[in-house]
Amino acid sequence: MKKIFKIGGISFVLIFGMSAYLSSHHAFTAEFDPNAPINITGKVVKVEWINPHAWVHVEVKEGGKTTVWMVEGGTPNTLIRNGINKKTITPGTVIVVRGYQSKGKLCLPRCIANGRDVTFPDGRKVFMGSSGTGAPRDGSDSRERR
Amino acid sequence: MNKSFFIAIIAILLASNIGAEEGWSNSKTWFGDPDLQGTWTNASLTSLERPDSYETLAVTDQDAKIAIKVSNEFVESVDNPYEEGESPQAGDNVGGYNVAWMDPGTELFKIDGKYRSSILTYPEDGKLPRRYIRWGLEGYGIYKMFAVADHPEERTLGERCLVGFGSSGGPPMLNVLYNNHYQIVQSPGYVMILVEMNHDARIIRLESNHNPNNMKPWLGDSIGTWEGNTLVVRTKNHHPQQKFRAGIRHQILIMEEAEITEKFTRINEKEILYQFEVNDDKAYKDTWRGEMPLRAADGEIYEYACHEGNYAMANILAGARAEERK
Repeated sequence: MKKIFKIGGISFVLIFGMSAYLSSHHAFTAEFDPNAPINITGKVVKVEWINPHAWVHVEVKEGGKTTVWMVEGGTPNTLIRNGINKKTITPGTVIVVRGYQSKGKLCLPRCIANGRDVTFPDGRKVFMGSSGTGAPRDGSDSRERR
Repeated sequence: MNKSFFIAIIAILLASNIGAEEGWSNSKTWFGDPDLQGTWTNASLTSLERPDSYETLAVTDQDAKIAIKVSNEFVESVDNPYEEGESPQAGDNVGGYNVAWMDPGTELFKIDGKYRSSILTYPEDGKLPRRYIRWGLEGYGIYKMFAVADHPEERTLGERCLVGFGSSGGPPMLNVLYNNHYQIVQSPGYVMILVEMNHDARIIRLESNHNPNNMKPWLGDSIGTWEGNTLVVRTKNHHPQQKFRAGIRHQILIMEEAEITEKFTRINEKEILYQFEVNDDKAYKDTWRGEMPLRAADGEIYEYACHEGNYAMANILAGARAEERK
């Protein structure tokens, strides 16, 4: 009986440990390599406003070589409800992406990374939204868009 | 017409508005059912279980303000992981993306004018009465969903675009970090609830019987009836692969045999009171009950077409192959 409790306890910790990674539609730890951090600056060439995740395509020129990165964002629904759309981030906009490269690292046809932090070169966030969609907007959340 | 007839009429008229706020009268659909239609959200800082920092179900306005402050500070810290010019470090958690993409609500929800510390109303301590042995027995299967990626069918239902993560689609329908919207459409004999994530449709048959027990659809087999202005939905025969439902904000087990009763009551123009009771004696030592408001949301739901853009699945499988080559 004691053993059952022990197994139960270990599994319980395991379950909760796993669920902690469920911050999105899928486990980012399964897709991206914690040992492959990236810090890139480039021009946006395309934005895919699709579910389950939006993708920002960025052209990076480095050492005479041009590489296009696909950067994974979140579900577009929230941003679109907050008025962020195709016109907010347009081709040609220069952005800085800090995140991690995909474990596959094939770069075929494009390199893949997550956009843990996406900013303009001056440090401002590219994606400034609200966490308040549908909730009463009482002014207590300084991040609310008006 | 006698006196008792008039008394009966008055009683029916009063019963038809039970639960509704004073001064507000339920509207009806063209076929006479109470009207629940519209787009609704349950986004809120209130989570299923009560955090240890709260002792009671109802919390003061002051505590509710503190909850907002703590949430904002947490979001701020998560959203600004790097100093200017700093790069991510090898070996850190890969994280996700800027919190602008999320929508966890901005405050605790209110019922009867009081802020709530948990969705759970019973047990009174606001904690799920889990049978830990059952959770332990399910542990290995759950672990495999995260650890194995030989083919898509082994991955979680959310990654496969089948149903949303957590218990977003329910039953019970619980709030997660984003996409907490529902669209209710009624037609004679049916109520349909479109769950934003992952574009799941709950089709509730009114005045009907349950399907045979061997039929276990996604989101369970739901039948409904009207009790006055309240839609009462009973669900059983839950899909076996939908047993474990987890997000950051709740982790629940719903066994195939669980019986779940939900109540939807429109209490004013802008709110539906959503209540539920879960009876699942395999996974829980006791019944658990909860309630939350579904609030009217502006606009329509942006379609969550999941399969079409699910590049992540291919990336996850490619990642697993890359790991194997090491």
